[in-house]
Amino acid sequence: MTSRRIVFAVLIMALCIGALPLSAQDEGVTMTMWVRNIGDQVQELVDAWNDRGGNQIELTVIPPNEFVTKMGAAIAAGESPDIASIDLIYAPAFAAAGQLLDITDWVDALPYADDLLPAHSELGTYQGRKYAVPFLIEGSFMMYNKGLFEAAGLDPETPPTTWDELLEAARAISAIDDETYGYYFAAACAGCNAFTYLPFIWASGGDVLSEDYSEATIATDPIVREALEYYRLMWEEGLIPESASIDDGGSFVSAFGTGTIGIAGTGAFGINVYRNDHPELNLGAFHIPGKDGGAASFGGGDVIAIGSGTQYPEEAWEFLEWMMSDETQLELYAARNRTTVRVSMLENEYSKDDPLVLTAASALAVGKSPYSLVYNDLFNDPNGPWLEMIQIAILDGDIDGALQLGQERFTQIIEG
Amino acid sequence: MSAAAREKDIALRMTLRLESLSWEQRRKLTGLLFVLPTVLFVTVFFIIPLAMTVFMSFHDWPLIGEQSWIGTTNYTELAKDRQYLKSLDFTFRYTILVTPPIFILGFILASLVRHNIRFIGIFRTIFFLPVVIGLGVSSLLWIWMLDQRVGIFNKILLDLHLIAKPQLFLAKPTTAMNVIILSVVWKTVGFTMILLLAGLQSIPDELYESADVDGAGYFRKLLYITLPLMRRTIALALILSVIGSVLAFDQFYIITRGGPRNSTISIVYWIFNNSFTYWKMGYGAAMSIVLLGILVALTSVQYYVLRERY
Repeated sequence: MTSRRIVFAVLIMALCIGALPLSAQDEGVTMTMWVRNIGDQVQELVDAWNDRGGNQIELTVIPPNEFVTKMGAAIAAGESPDIASIDLIYAPAFAAAGQLLDITDWVDALPYADDLLPAHSELGTYQGRKYAVPFLIEGSFMMYNKGLFEAAGLDPETPPTTWDELLEAARAISAIDDETYGYYFAAACAGCNAFTYLPFIWASGGDVLSEDYSEATIATDPIVREALEYYRLMWEEGLIPESASIDDGGSFVSAFGTGTIGIAGTGAFGINVYRNDHPELNLGAFHIPGKDGGAASFGGGDVIAIGSGTQYPEEAWEFLEWMMSDETQLELYAARNRTTVRVSMLENEYSKDDPLVLTAASALAVGKSPYSLVYNDLFNDPNGPWLEMIQIAILDGDIDGALQLGQERFTQIIEG
Repeated sequence: MSAAAREKDIALRMTLRLESLSWEQRRKLTGLLFVLPTVLFVTVFFIIPLAMTVFMSFHDWPLIGEQSWIGTTNYTELAKDRQYLKSLDFTFRYTILVTPPIFILGFILASLVRHNIRFIGIFRTIFFLPVVIGLGVSSLLWIWMLDQRVGIFNKILLDLHLIAKPQLFLAKPTTAMNVIILSVVWKTVGFTMILLLAGLQSIPDELYESADVDGAGYFRKLLYITLPLMRRTIALALILSVIGSVLAFDQFYIITRGGPRNSTISIVYWIFNNSFTYWKMGYGAAMSIVLLGILVALTSVQYYVLRERY
């Protein structure tokens, strides 16, 4: 071989070696995705997606209280993620600001477009265009400790269906000993109370906002007062542990897990947490009751959207489509006790024998999600009027003052 | 031309150009060059952001979305914002409550570690140590120490039989404020101590010796020698402490989250909420400008009161 040929061969080899990593990179892109920290579900999904090879997703988990602030700041700085899992309540605000990609055509082309959960789909729609699809489904409901029901002489298979029944059950459980409490709510957590306390009002036919969300009805709707008086009574009677007064959501899930709480509001996320971390608890679930019966739930969770500034819209949609597919919904949602994003799959081979999952899924049938561009300022802000009203009424006992303050501050925020 | 020759040529030309300037012009140019880095720094990091803030304050400026000019509306809205006034009131009450303990304790600590005796460095380091921890980290540490289940404060108070059951320190406005003050004093007293220590050590020993000869006691020396000669240092320590307190944010954001019942929302916390939680950047900017005015006024008053009078 002449020296010229050797040089040529070496060059060819070098080119081949150099091209190897390039071709590997060409196989897919890496997209960024943000989600608020609400359990392992999203990490599991993203891991399953990444394991398939091809386009990859880099997940960033953000503390729930800071998601909107960080997302807003990132958008303002031009550094928003390619894909964002957004608390469904905020979807209209982000869509209104033009920060989400219009995916109407893609969504409409899905063979199961009409099968996507309606409440979540509605919040993913802004002025008739679709910007987000259902992703994490959380309908609020009540979890109860059957062991404590039994110890208190209550029938563990007959959970409360009215406010009075719930109160009586909480009283009986609190009477077991000084360390046991009938009820729990995180009194310093704004979002937790929108999720689990608002449905008490809704289930009784009341609301804090008018039907078109344009007016506050706190001072005018008698049910709001009754709901505040109801929690106040439980607080005064010591049916709720004192530590709840400073719980800003940190113990919202874990308090019930201690086994010393009879009844507490939760969502589908609680099922796996309690089953995995507290297998000793004998769990039961029931819908959040109205004053004289009925039921309601806060249709919460996340929708998923593609950032309008993304370089990879098709790739991002591919992930969304994969997430909503039959197989992912069955194997990565249903099989893991999670509520599916498709109505026809809510009852499936995995959930049909699981009363907890069925309660979580059926809660969505009585679920409601406020559609408001100022939802964060009204309900979720730790310094907002919703939490302040709850604290003044329930912890301080000043119901009149709380109603007046709530009405004033809600009106101020709604009127901008 | 070689590189060295080229450099020499450039240097020569510059020298010739400089030589063509008068002495006075050269002096001005040199002075300008000396202050140029500072001018650039102040322009980039203070003047431009300040001008931008003023500009933003006249706009409806959402964090995301389109901005629009609204004149002085943000400023007129301020007067109607009850929480803004409440936060101002709270911030001043907090400043009034937190400044004296920081100063007095700082002064006592500075007096204790003033003399260069054996192992004094260890004490100075211990007292100064909390200063080097970030306020965010120290706030998280305090949340943990205040916890009713695992916190050390409840454990100590229970063991000493001062309380019958674990206390929820953050559940009531007064106790929440008190523990915040305690945490801030712990965190910042070392800094005031170091400032005052420098002031104390700059007073010549001869003055105390002659006062001893005249039979002056501790308080007389303190009143007539120490405090008058430390006027500048005291002014600096107080001004820094007051500015720090008026701008307090981290401890309220992390430890109390503004609670209970929104009783601990400092003014900067409210500015943050409006700018980043409610996405009203323009309104936040207007509040910041008003706060800046308040701070300038406060500092001027302090400076005037504590000015050198001889």
